[in-house]
Amino acid sequence: MLWTLLAMHVVAVVAIAGSGRWLKIRVLLACAAVAPAATAIWASVQLLQGSGPTIAELTWVEGLDLGLRFSTDALALMMTLLVSGIGALVFVYATGYFSADAPSGARFSASLLGFSASMLGLVWADSVWTLFIFWELTSVTSFLLVGHKNTDEKVQQAARRALMITGAGGLVLLAGLLVLASEAGTTIITDIGQIGGSAGTVAALLVLVGAATKSAQVPFHVWLPGAMAAPTPVSAYLHSATMVKAGVLLLAVTGGAFVDVQAFQTVGMAFGVTSVLWGAIGALRHRDAKLILAWGTVSQLGLLVTLLSIGTGKAVFAAVSVLFAHALFKAALFLVVGEIDIRTGTRDIDELGGLARKMPIAFAVALAAGLSMAGAPPLLGFAAKEAAIEAVVKLSGFEMIAAGIGIIGGSVLTVAYTVRFLVTVFGPGPDTPVGPRRLAMTLPAVLLGAAGLVGFAALGVVNEIVLPAAVELNADAAKYSLLRWPGFTTAFGISAAVLIAGAALGGALSRHAAHAPEPLGADSADRLIDGTMSVARQVTARVQHGSLPVYVTVMASTASLAALPFFADLDTSHLVWADQPMQAVLAVAIVGSAIAGAFVGSRLGAALTLGAVGTGMSGLFILHGAPDLALTQLLVETIVVVGFVVGLGHLARQFPPVTGGWRTVRLTMSILGGVAVAGALAAASANPSGRTPVEQLATESVEEGGGNNIVNVILTDMRALDTLGEVVVLATVAVGILALANLRDPEASA
Amino acid sequence: MIAAHSPIVRLGIRAASPLAILVGVYLLFAGHNQPGGGFAAGLVFGAVAALRTVAGLQRPINTGALVAAGTALVAVVAVAPLLWGDPMLDQQIVSAEIPLLGKVKTGSALPFDIGVTAIVVGLVLAVLDGLGARELAETSVPKPGGAK
Repeated sequence: MLWTLLAMHVVAVVAIAGSGRWLKIRVLLACAAVAPAATAIWASVQLLQGSGPTIAELTWVEGLDLGLRFSTDALALMMTLLVSGIGALVFVYATGYFSADAPSGARFSASLLGFSASMLGLVWADSVWTLFIFWELTSVTSFLLVGHKNTDEKVQQAARRALMITGAGGLVLLAGLLVLASEAGTTIITDIGQIGGSAGTVAALLVLVGAATKSAQVPFHVWLPGAMAAPTPVSAYLHSATMVKAGVLLLAVTGGAFVDVQAFQTVGMAFGVTSVLWGAIGALRHRDAKLILAWGTVSQLGLLVTLLSIGTGKAVFAAVSVLFAHALFKAALFLVVGEIDIRTGTRDIDELGGLARKMPIAFAVALAAGLSMAGAPPLLGFAAKEAAIEAVVKLSGFEMIAAGIGIIGGSVLTVAYTVRFLVTVFGPGPDTPVGPRRLAMTLPAVLLGAAGLVGFAALGVVNEIVLPAAVELNADAAKYSLLRWPGFTTAFGISAAVLIAGAALGGALSRHAAHAPEPLGADSADRLIDGTMSVARQVTARVQHGSLPVYVTVMASTASLAALPFFADLDTSHLVWADQPMQAVLAVAIVGSAIAGAFVGSRLGAALTLGAVGTGMSGLFILHGAPDLALTQLLVETIVVVGFVVGLGHLARQFPPVTGGWRTVRLTMSILGGVAVAGALAAASANPSGRTPVEQLATESVEEGGGNNIVNVILTDMRALDTLGEVVVLATVAVGILALANLRDPEASA
Repeated sequence: MIAAHSPIVRLGIRAASPLAILVGVYLLFAGHNQPGGGFAAGLVFGAVAALRTVAGLQRPINTGALVAAGTALVAVVAVAPLLWGDPMLDQQIVSAEIPLLGKVKTGSALPFDIGVTAIVVGLVLAVLDGLGARELAETSVPKPGGAK
């Protein structure tokens, strides 16, 4: 089933990418919604039935555990529901967001659906390699989507920054997964046990950094506000509800392995608490409604990282609950902001006013989602936030202080920025003209906004989704559940205090014009990227300067020096002058041609002497009983001579005189190359490693390959993988030459 | 180009082309049991195309399509066995009775070889065109000492 769903996505991506010429963006987006919708329905059925994990596996190289492996446990199913459910809604929303004749519809729809498929692969991944591949695919598709308006330089920069930070984080993650897999002795994620020691610490830190880049934790968060340059459906889908949760998900599934690693808890907590507070402060200072939400996402992700770092059953349960609630309310809020952007033409809170009256439905959605974000009853966010505060109250010592500052302090600030957002966007202010409502935009927002309310009313259903997912991560979570009315507990008291304090702070701040800071750190990230690019350009200019003789000199001397170590194995006692007289004759001809080639003054003459050397070599192959080699050598010589004839037409008939130091370099190179090749060959033939496997190859060739020509059976069957690699190289070279030729002469391109 | 101006060379190349193509096809099919194979066949076809280019005769011009088709064929042969749960590039041998030819035995190595052939021909043509073979064949007199 997993294959079917993935195949559905891939086929749709290809079909959509190819049909941009005929279909408009709205049709393409509507077609793209089918696959996520089907996946979401499948996931809901699986969740309702409570069936066990579906496993899908494709082995490529068994010995290396290379291949794809998917498994859908309760957590993966919950994430699938979010990824595909919100995905389908976002596609519907986008049909309203874009105007009917918006350009590059195929690229956008295909990238967005491609992201959806990558995210599913990431959520289902049960092998570290599968996880890594889909992790990187989400980074790449995110890059394409952030850079959708690819003519704007600012957008380009934002897209590049997002790709560089998440891509670099992906490499760090790869290192972490390698250490983790080798220490645990398995690449299957569900089989990884607890690891400790210094290897465990190293793996934990690497995985943490990888997760922090993806989930926009301070100081790697700088890419996320920039990514708001993407169209709003993308921001709602990737940069709030799904992709940024990948890092959190990674910490959740690897957390079990790092239970004994103190650094995982400490550093994770540091990332989380800093991000909760700094993100919320950022949200309080921005005036662009979308950026307020983006900084709020940094804060909420920090909350999730903090909870997972605590790692107790209650904290993990709270983390999964908050993750679920956050995906719903944050997506809804983004969709509302996108609608405001389209209908009023601005997202600046100073220019917005009176929207509560002019956009009543959007206001109702924003109110429901916003209060869920603030953790106010009667909404899903309240139950989730209660669980988080409960988890903190149960801690002790330093951990309690740190987590308390993060979660409770962060909650106060969250309430404050929520209030500020609602008041400044929808409250009194300048009279903003509002365009007509678009049903395709309103409907998904209403559904997502209502989900928080319905989820609280039907808390039992949400509990059935969230609890198994949390138990998957920590068995202790089994004894908890989401509560509609917790009673007058300490946590409830804290919640109430948080709401009052936050509302007061938010109300006060929304009256003052805050100064929006430049995205702190984004400049340095850009400078780092630009610096790397300019160093790369300088290095390229030095190394790839375009002089063919220098390239040849560098390559030949490297190869010669690499051959030198073989001289140690040189054993002259095995060497014989010749097996048969004919070889001596050919050798004289070859050596003679080679020497003549070195002295001949005309270019055509040199080409012909080279041809003679090659032909002589094929004669030697025949004498050794290798007709295949001889045939190939002869054909290659023929074509090379024709190539020379063509190429020489562009050049002078005679070689230019070579003098001075350059002549010395060339002479040295030639002698070094000749000696190195001759010596290495002599050493290789004098020192065979074991018996030659001719007989075994011959039987295998006939029995398994079904052919009598061993050389060809080796090429096309036994070592076909090597041949595949070689022909891919040939094809790449051909494409490269074609591209270069077209570059030189644009009219010749066919 | 000299070749374009010499009727003997032109006629010779024109007459030899079908024979050489026949040889190439033979090498391609014989390759599994006798000297030959996809690479050698590709070189023969490439040589024919190269000679025809030099002589200013007709030859396939869509190099990119050749390379693409070859790569696609090779990739399909490589990946297809995975669909049946066999290892990548696993060889399938088929034998059948065909009228006139008798019992014919072949395998998935044959399409693989054909893909290799297409790529090799494409590469040879790409190199020749990269060297400016087509323009050379069209210009009547080679420029003595063009560049450098």
